[in-house]
Amino acid sequence: MGTVLQIEGLRKSYATGRRRPPRPALKGLDLEVRRGSVFGLLGPNGAGKTTTLKVIMGLVRPDAGRVTVLGRQADDLSVRSRIGFLPEQPYFELYMTPRRLLTYYGRLAGMSSERIRERIPYLLNLVGLGDVTDLRLEKFSKGMLQRVGLAQALLNRPELVILDEPSSGLDPLGKIEVKEILDGLRREGVTVLLSSHQLSEVEEVCDRVAIISGGENVASGGLDDLLRSKDEFRVVLAGPLLVEKPLLPPSASWSSDGRTLYVKRESLSRVLRSLIDAGIGVEEVAPRRMTLEEFFLSRVKPAREGEDV
Amino acid sequence: MYSLLTVAWGVMQDALHRKVFYALLAFTLILILLVPLLPTAEVGVQLDLAREAALGLASIMAFLMAVILAASILPGEMGRRTIYNALSRPVGRKIYYLGKLLGVLAVLAAALILNYLVILAFLAAKFRVFSPGTAKALFTIFLEGAVLASVSMLASVHFGPLVCVLLTGLFYVVCHVKGDFLYRAMVDVSNPGALRGLAGFLYYVLPNLERLNINETVAHGERVFRVGAAELLLLTGLAVCFAAVFTGIGMYVFERKDL
Ligand SMILES: Nc1ncnc2c1ncn2[C@@H]1O[C@H](COP(=O)(O)OP(=O)(O)OP(=O)(O)O)[C@@H](O)[C@H]1O
Ligand SMILES: [Mg+2]
Repeated sequence: MGTVLQIEGLRKSYATGRRRPPRPALKGLDLEVRRGSVFGLLGPNGAGKTTTLKVIMGLVRPDAGRVTVLGRQADDLSVRSRIGFLPEQPYFELYMTPRRLLTYYGRLAGMSSERIRERIPYLLNLVGLGDVTDLRLEKFSKGMLQRVGLAQALLNRPELVILDEPSSGLDPLGKIEVKEILDGLRREGVTVLLSSHQLSEVEEVCDRVAIISGGENVASGGLDDLLRSKDEFRVVLAGPLLVEKPLLPPSASWSSDGRTLYVKRESLSRVLRSLIDAGIGVEEVAPRRMTLEEFFLSRVKPAREGEDV
Repeated sequence: MYSLLTVAWGVMQDALHRKVFYALLAFTLILILLVPLLPTAEVGVQLDLAREAALGLASIMAFLMAVILAASILPGEMGRRTIYNALSRPVGRKIYYLGKLLGVLAVLAAALILNYLVILAFLAAKFRVFSPGTAKALFTIFLEGAVLASVSMLASVHFGPLVCVLLTGLFYVVCHVKGDFLYRAMVDVSNPGALRGLAGFLYYVLPNLERLNINETVAHGERVFRVGAAELLLLTGLAVCFAAVFTGIGMYVFERKDL
């Protein structure tokens, strides 16, 4: 389990015009992505996700910090042939067809003609464009262009795939297809770093996430570890409640079906005792798992409020 | 090397999908064919005048094409964000920049060759003369187009197409009048010192593009001056040096730009 991507103390400010101070986009960001993981980069609009990905791809020059990709500096060209990149809202020369476009990018990637010819039908089928291989891109819809973008990102069989909002603009079917593609990449051992606003999607496909807010990494780790709350527990009753609800501390709350209790850590033993004293069977006690949305809001809101001060 | 050629090839493909390319080409070729309609004084000079007019038209076309193409490629790709797809491959920015410029020059060369063939055919049909010597003038037109394209491309790293065309136009004018105007501004002691300094600086730094204009000499059949191989070589060296300087600066700036 090596590290595929390591970012340390990354800083970047964008110029905003003469005589105005530069606007910081990244303020000392740290990030580590391990081989074989599907890593989700989350954060509100303007948090610095795209900027981070652009720095990794050498499209933006950082002011400070170190970026190591596949064991090399981010500005090392040789590493690019091992990365696939889907930019945010990808766009293409519209007079081209997917076949010509992918051929052009394949040549730039230094792929042989045979290999390009082999990959094109496979990739276009993968992203659901198998029947428009020779249709000009000007006739494509937004979601279709997004799919072309996905295909070009996978052109050179990359070890690391970087996707900036891969499912933006896709229909529900397309989102499921993206999920399947990501699952396929995971099975092949390809490392994926994606940014997304679709929290449910991230929860389904990513095993690790980082939340960026205001140009900093405010939380990162394995999804299971992050979402398992340290100070709240879930208590599941053995059967439906037949007797009167026992009197419980105010920090404990019932779920809507009346079979589950959410209890703060400090009152857990008191609640359990009251339940057992009232003759109510307990089936399961486990740390409560938050949804990613709850977790996201819990991390982003305080960071935002801190900013306003 | 391979990616350089791939990028250049991409530019040529791209030019074939641009209206401005066809418009300029068609406009020029039609005008060349209309040259005989110009009023002429004496029959004897008709051939020379026709040649001069045709070469003049070819230069205008070449300069506009070089400047417009070079001015619009990078801003277009940056604006439409297509540049990310290319630069996320193992292609250095310098190579990318150079490839784009090479592509523009290849398009320019192709357009000039087409012009050459039309001019030859036109002169043969109208005056029954075979005039291969016009190639020399078209060659120096190409050289000047290359210098202008490199200036336009440099400007296009930071400015939009329109500003680039205007800046390059300014460059063109200054470099054509510099031998005369700047020199006088420099030596005239009645001018303020700063102005004389600036004029002197520009005089020595900017290329003398008038040197590259041999249209007249060639049009008049090189009866007075002959444009020999040594002269062409010298002019090539001059143009290559200036184009290289502008391109070098352009590559340096482009490499450091946030996209
Ligand atoms: N080219 C640019 N010039 C100036 N400022 C920029 C530029 N690109 C981004 N920024 C600023 O940098 C900050 C981070 O932007 P970035 O695009 O990285 O955010 P993001 O997390 O990708 O947001 P979103 O979810 O909306 O895509 C923003 O405040 C934005 O205004
Ligand atoms: Mg973004």
